[in-house]
Amino acid sequence: MTNHLPIIAIQVLFLGAFISGLVGYKSNSLRKFVIFLATGTSLVLTLMLFKPVMMEGQIISYWMGNWVPVSDWAIGIGLEVDQLSLFFGLIVTVTVFLGAIYSFKYMSKDNGQDKYYVVFMMLAGSVLGFVFTGDLFNMYVMIEIMTFAAVGLTAFRNHKAESIEAAFKYLVVGSIGSSLILLGTVVMYAQFKTLNLAQITALLNNAQHTPVILFAFALMIGGYAVKAFIVPCHVVAPDAYAAAPSSVSMLFSGIVNKAGIYGMIRLVFVVFASMNLPSMQFLLVFLGTITMFIGVTMALAQSDFKRLLAFHSISQIGYVLTAIGLSTILGLTGGLYHALNHTLFKGLLFLCAGAVLYSTGTTDLNKLGGLAKKMPQTAGLFLVGAFAISGIPPFNGFVSKWLVYQGTFAKSMETNNPGYVFVTIVALIVSVMTLASFIKVTQSVFFGQLPKEFENAEEVPLSMRIPMWILAALCLVAGILPTAVIDYLIKPAVLAIKSAGNYVAVMMGQEYATKIYTEGIAIPKYDYAMAGWNPTSWLILFGVLLIAFALVALTGGFNPRHIVGAENNNAKFDVFFSGEAAEHSHVAGNDLFWGLKHNLKGYFHFMHDVHNGVVNDYALMVVSTTALVMLYLFLLVK
Amino acid sequence: MFKKLIEKGIEKSPWLLHINTGSCNGCDIELVSVITPRYDAERMGFKLAGTPRHADIVVVSGPITSQSKERLVRTLAQVPDPKVVVSIGSCPRSCNVFHGSYSVEGPLDRYCDVDVSIAGCPPKPEAIIDGLAKAVEILKTKRRGK
Amino acid sequence: MNNILQFLFYILIFPGFAFCVVAGLLIAGIDRKLVARMQKRIGPPILQPTYDFLKLLGKETIIPRHAARKVYLAAPVVGLLSLVTVSLFIPIFNFSIFDKPVADLIVIIYLLTIPGVALIIGGSASGSPYAGVGISREMVAILSYELPLVIVLLTIGRKVGMALDGNITFSLKAIVDYQAQYGPMIAQWSMIPAAIALLLVIPCKVGSLPFDIAEAEIEICEGPLVEYSGPPLGIFKLNHAIKMFIMTSLFVTLFLSGAGTNFVALNVLIQFALAVVVTFISISVLKAITARLRVEQTFKFYWTYPTALALLSLVLVWLGL
Repeated sequence: MTNHLPIIAIQVLFLGAFISGLVGYKSNSLRKFVIFLATGTSLVLTLMLFKPVMMEGQIISYWMGNWVPVSDWAIGIGLEVDQLSLFFGLIVTVTVFLGAIYSFKYMSKDNGQDKYYVVFMMLAGSVLGFVFTGDLFNMYVMIEIMTFAAVGLTAFRNHKAESIEAAFKYLVVGSIGSSLILLGTVVMYAQFKTLNLAQITALLNNAQHTPVILFAFALMIGGYAVKAFIVPCHVVAPDAYAAAPSSVSMLFSGIVNKAGIYGMIRLVFVVFASMNLPSMQFLLVFLGTITMFIGVTMALAQSDFKRLLAFHSISQIGYVLTAIGLSTILGLTGGLYHALNHTLFKGLLFLCAGAVLYSTGTTDLNKLGGLAKKMPQTAGLFLVGAFAISGIPPFNGFVSKWLVYQGTFAKSMETNNPGYVFVTIVALIVSVMTLASFIKVTQSVFFGQLPKEFENAEEVPLSMRIPMWILAALCLVAGILPTAVIDYLIKPAVLAIKSAGNYVAVMMGQEYATKIYTEGIAIPKYDYAMAGWNPTSWLILFGVLLIAFALVALTGGFNPRHIVGAENNNAKFDVFFSGEAAEHSHVAGNDLFWGLKHNLKGYFHFMHDVHNGVVNDYALMVVSTTALVMLYLFLLVK
Repeated sequence: MFKKLIEKGIEKSPWLLHINTGSCNGCDIELVSVITPRYDAERMGFKLAGTPRHADIVVVSGPITSQSKERLVRTLAQVPDPKVVVSIGSCPRSCNVFHGSYSVEGPLDRYCDVDVSIAGCPPKPEAIIDGLAKAVEILKTKRRGK
Repeated sequence: MNNILQFLFYILIFPGFAFCVVAGLLIAGIDRKLVARMQKRIGPPILQPTYDFLKLLGKETIIPRHAARKVYLAAPVVGLLSLVTVSLFIPIFNFSIFDKPVADLIVIIYLLTIPGVALIIGGSASGSPYAGVGISREMVAILSYELPLVIVLLTIGRKVGMALDGNITFSLKAIVDYQAQYGPMIAQWSMIPAAIALLLVIPCKVGSLPFDIAEAEIEICEGPLVEYSGPPLGIFKLNHAIKMFIMTSLFVTLFLSGAGTNFVALNVLIQFALAVVVTFISISVLKAITARLRVEQTFKFYWTYPTALALLSLVLVWLGL
């Protein structure tokens, strides 16, 4: 029974897409019911896998049409769900479920909703299929469906010019990425005469890394770098995130770039087993570090809410890649933890941006202001998300960033390589810059003065607030109970990354595996120490104090007799403006950080020139990145 | 006991907000000289505050021109209680030589209760310190009266 | 039960809330007196910050019409709270409330940003345009000093870690133990540039004169604090004073600590005396002799000189000196 769960979970999503396309145009509520049912079922089915896979350590394999391997050659398409797949699968189903609930009300002002949900479900199903599959070509097919669904959703609001433009850019660059992956797949097939991931893993284990294999490897790294929006292949991401509806932006940052990260991990760690080479570690850490730095500095310069969040998405993926590139237990734990956290808090932030867009019709930071009075819940939830992404305790970002810092610093002590200290410093500074840029959003969207045209803005409906509340609660839980999260989710996934032998053994049979791994399948050890860090003791302390003081503050402990309600027409309650009458003089987001931009204007001008919006240049960037990676692999990886 | 402590604090730490309502700057310079090393009003806790929300004593100089009238009234309203209004120089008292001008709408007591009025054109720093000390006494009685 | 009582004592009396308030207000008073004496003034009494605080408790609290009320009132409390939490982590010579090494430098880096963030959030919740300008300056200031601060702390971690077990340490207790064994950190000549860098960071962290761009009372009416009055303002002023004590005390723990004596009270006195000395060197002297910088000058300053000094130390430590 358990064997069938993954394929049903994938099929339910695709079926949902078709059924909602078939019956959806008739009735709105019927369509919503179908979508709710499909995403909910898929979530439940994935959760049912949790116990056997994560807790009992099973790896689930499933041969489509029962085409089992014949005389050690895999011919059929196989699904293989190990702990790493399920980790990402859970991220996918939870995000899709919450995104679907949010869409119901959020998309109600748009027309063509039946088409929206079809493409939405295609996107969801393809990513789930991508992480559950055990077949190289199937991975390509799924990521291709994902790319085109994503392009379709980016262009969904096609009455806006920027949607069409963003979709076009995404289409071109995304196709290049897919072609790279396809070419890599073809070369691999020509070499090994099989497409099964487990079998390729096994064959590669004993094969020489010939130039042809390196060629395929480099193509695939380039392709998945485009899918994960890693600098310098990130250029289309901000446009796409900003133009798509917010429920889709949430999927983009929650699952689409996670799919790229998953592909990367699966290839470099499991299939090619290349991460014990220092040169490969250097490649990933280098890419990750520039990704997080360029992402965050570009975010500082943005004046659109969703574009800013998009650049933060890129920056956070940089953290994930850096931590994974360390390829120590600590680093992998931090990287996967941060991938999970990124889905939670960035989903929350995109939903908040969507709520602002829903109520006011704009995401321009220079026009918004003072919405905290009109939308108190959204403002509070946004603050939770902002604190979480900036890594302020007790939210989840703190724990995973902590692991990243410690991982990089420990790596530098281990290898005696000062370069990794530099990475730690960059990671810490990027964290502060993230905080700075979210302060800017808070000031220019939720605080400050309320512009006249938004006097009638209202809090968003309950069905939009529920997913936001759930994500905020998960952010807090993942911050307060890090040991539980690590034990039940991260640890099995990290072990799965480290044990390619198991992966082969389950899929191709134990005999085959023993033939390949002659010296036995290594069982990795999971030992990490959060250097002297005891989260619970001081978190409890912080919590107690917080509650105590908050109670004092909110029950009016500050001299309640003297706090009087603001009367209208009483100048006493006007904002002090050097005695002038209170007029609208909001300090907009663009005007903050003048001091920083002034000093780094050379850098910002250069970055402005790089993100020039010309698709030819973007395509060139992707291709040359792949070429450079290839060169690097040929010259240095041995 | 707590009340006593707060009273002590009020006595020891009066913060000033200076509003210029079209003065010739004579009084303003004398006020600034009060916080120079020679007179050093900070030894009694006086400090110039930047905003009306932080002030205890509002010091007004100048004859209240029609441009500044509205701003003066609004700023005075924004000072939290208890507060004391002190006028410096002859202008806020009687409009001085500007009396009768089309653009002068003084004196100050048309718009608010003046607690201490320091005479002179401009008054000497010693006189200002003396007046501020009186203002602190009034501040204390206002606090007690509440 | 006993444990809980002991914990409450730590949080509320020593080295938590009460001790912090007293020490912070005293050190702020001493600083004002020192500056006054350097400018040939008599200066306010040492209890002046205490009087200011008490007075503000007795004033009226006005909440502007456009302010986000709850955030506006909660911001100063959150700032105070995180400062008190930091104080629990800083060991005073051999006295530390945790038996195991739990106190971490990175936790402290984060907790010390929270008062700044609280100031920013509170200011922006007040809805004033002056506050808007103030918070933008405060934010750039945080970005400026955080880089050298981070490098200094990593340098110390590396130095101590190498001597102890060849592994990384971010534990303050380990740092104090190291100093108890090998003498104060400042005596190591490779750490002197880092110490100078940290001394330069302190004034910006506590917002004192050459770097008090965010709260410039002349140009932008005290920036984020422009709308605050009464007790919330008092708490912000208290935060300011406590921050002064905590930063200087952190410097003492990092660079001037050692075995100390066997009496806790005496150790605390020594720590306080050393903190006063650090205050004098890094805050009072600068305050008395400099004028306010512009925000982009501050940024440029911190990303050049203190950063270069801190990096120099890091390189020296890496070379095993």
